[in-house]
Amino acid sequence: MPRSANAVDFWRGFALVEIFINHIPGTVWEQFTHKTFSQSDSAELFVFLAGWSLNHVVGPPDHPRPKRQLIMRLFLRAGMLYAAHMVIVMAAIAMLAIGSKVLDNPLLLEWFNASAVFTAPVEAHIGLVFLTHQLGYFDILPLYVVLLFLSPFIALLHRRWPSALLPASAGLWFVCLVGEVTFDTWPTQGEWFFDPLCWQFAFVLGFLLAQTTGPGAWVRAHIVPIRWVALPVIAFAAWARWSGWELDPTAAPEPHLLFVNDKSFLTPTRIGQFLLLAALASVLWEPIRRRLPSLAGALSLLGRNSLLVFCIGSLLSLAAQILRFAFRGSFVGDSVIVACGLAILFTAAAVADWWERQR
Amino acid sequence: MKAISRTSAACLVAAVTLFGREAGSAEPRLAPVPVECATQGVDGAPAIGFPNLTRAMTQRQKIVALAIGSSVVGRSRPGGDYYGLVERFLETTFKGLDVVLVQRGVSGELARDGADRIRLETARFTPDVVFWQVGTADAMAGIDPAETREIVRSTIRWLKEHEIDVVLIGLHYTPSLRDDGPYQAMRRAISDVARAEGVLRIRRYEVGETLDRLSRSPSETAPFTDYGSLGDTCMAEHLARSLATGLFARRVRGDLDKPQPRAK
Repeated sequence: MPRSANAVDFWRGFALVEIFINHIPGTVWEQFTHKTFSQSDSAELFVFLAGWSLNHVVGPPDHPRPKRQLIMRLFLRAGMLYAAHMVIVMAAIAMLAIGSKVLDNPLLLEWFNASAVFTAPVEAHIGLVFLTHQLGYFDILPLYVVLLFLSPFIALLHRRWPSALLPASAGLWFVCLVGEVTFDTWPTQGEWFFDPLCWQFAFVLGFLLAQTTGPGAWVRAHIVPIRWVALPVIAFAAWARWSGWELDPTAAPEPHLLFVNDKSFLTPTRIGQFLLLAALASVLWEPIRRRLPSLAGALSLLGRNSLLVFCIGSLLSLAAQILRFAFRGSFVGDSVIVACGLAILFTAAAVADWWERQR
Repeated sequence: MKAISRTSAACLVAAVTLFGREAGSAEPRLAPVPVECATQGVDGAPAIGFPNLTRAMTQRQKIVALAIGSSVVGRSRPGGDYYGLVERFLETTFKGLDVVLVQRGVSGELARDGADRIRLETARFTPDVVFWQVGTADAMAGIDPAETREIVRSTIRWLKEHEIDVVLIGLHYTPSLRDDGPYQAMRRAISDVARAEGVLRIRRYEVGETLDRLSRSPSETAPFTDYGSLGDTCMAEHLARSLATGLFARRVRGDLDKPQPRAK
């Protein structure tokens, strides 16, 4: 039986809806996602909740999953994600190729970083397999795959030395920020859009804060004062975002990445603002569950089928971009595209739930 | 196709060799531009365009260039990518000059995201010049040209305030977009802002248009020409020549612009 609506699935569903919309750049609905008034966006939420969910696999402290089973299950999950990524990337390349033929426009391939697949196929396919070549807007799953391949080590380190995980993760994040350490892309020249060595910090924070011991226990004990601290910070961040104010990165002290706002490296301002926003937003779940049960149920439906919804959503947002290019975006057109896309996502999640009940 | 690609590469190598002969002299004479690239590929006056590059070259014998826009296939290609060609071109032309090219292109990145990336990467690498491919993704995503123009304008001014030169690389060409109103409006917006702010613009669209015309009349050129690769090569040619000319703050008219027969 599918699990009932809960806060984690609700917020994951919320993130999935926002990712779908934000992956259609230029759509009028983009401005209604929370990145409009926040330094962070749904990517942080998605990765943080992925770490949170790791606890379900690890098991409760008094009844932990056996070590071998834990490792096998996490690697299997990582393999499944990798396979899912490969499938949607191949489907995306086919969609782009069809789009470029039908619209007689090879720029579609360039637009989504797919041209190398056709102009340098040998290198590009090696890059696709080893995740060093990523299509535009298909860069979250490679991060997620790396994090899941890391997750057995994270879980085992935590099981052996619980208090060592946070300093180890924060230390790696800090070193990579200071040293600007990241993964290169190949054959196209550049860097991964999401640096896994930095983003592992959001994943580990999600894992630790979900627990009722350690940092999670401390946050729960102090959640009210944390929310009071969060309020002015979030308000200032919203004002800064709204007004376009930001610290000139060149004026920031060195190492620059410690002081600027950058998504690729998950800089401190981003993760800090996200954590405070999460502390504030967490108060909303109970009222929503009580007063808007259909909304809570709908987003939880998406959240508990997250991989399927994410994969379909990625392809739908690609299709939406191609359609917007072909027919040109307008308020009505964008609304129809987003509404149809969401309808397909909810239908797919409902079918997956139905299938789960039949088993 | 491969044979002619090799011919194009040979042409470029010949050009580089010619520059090499001049290396170390006070002012290099630029080799003839290949006939396929002979369209006016540059909009602006390179002779006055690069005060910061010139300063970096004379003071440090090293220039750092930051490339933003579409990501390009790296050195796995024979001859390297087009930014690699620019790097090699300049290092051969100016003996002892160290050209460091930082590629941070993200395909499909809108101008607004590219502008943020420019500011961040400027802090990371302190470039002397930024090559910014801008406009194509915005046009494809249906962004209002006025919005893109404003972002490009403010970013150019920010770069100037930080003593960094900038070269805009215009929109791609594809025949199906020749009569596309929004695409052409974006093209004009980029052109207008480049002109208004006095920065160099590589006319990628016009170069592509010329190559497309040549490809449709094969009698004018050698058969089996790989025009896709040649488009990148021409862009590199124009970019490198503009930089070389700008660095000497003097332009040898005639040699650079006059179409010459391609080296066989």
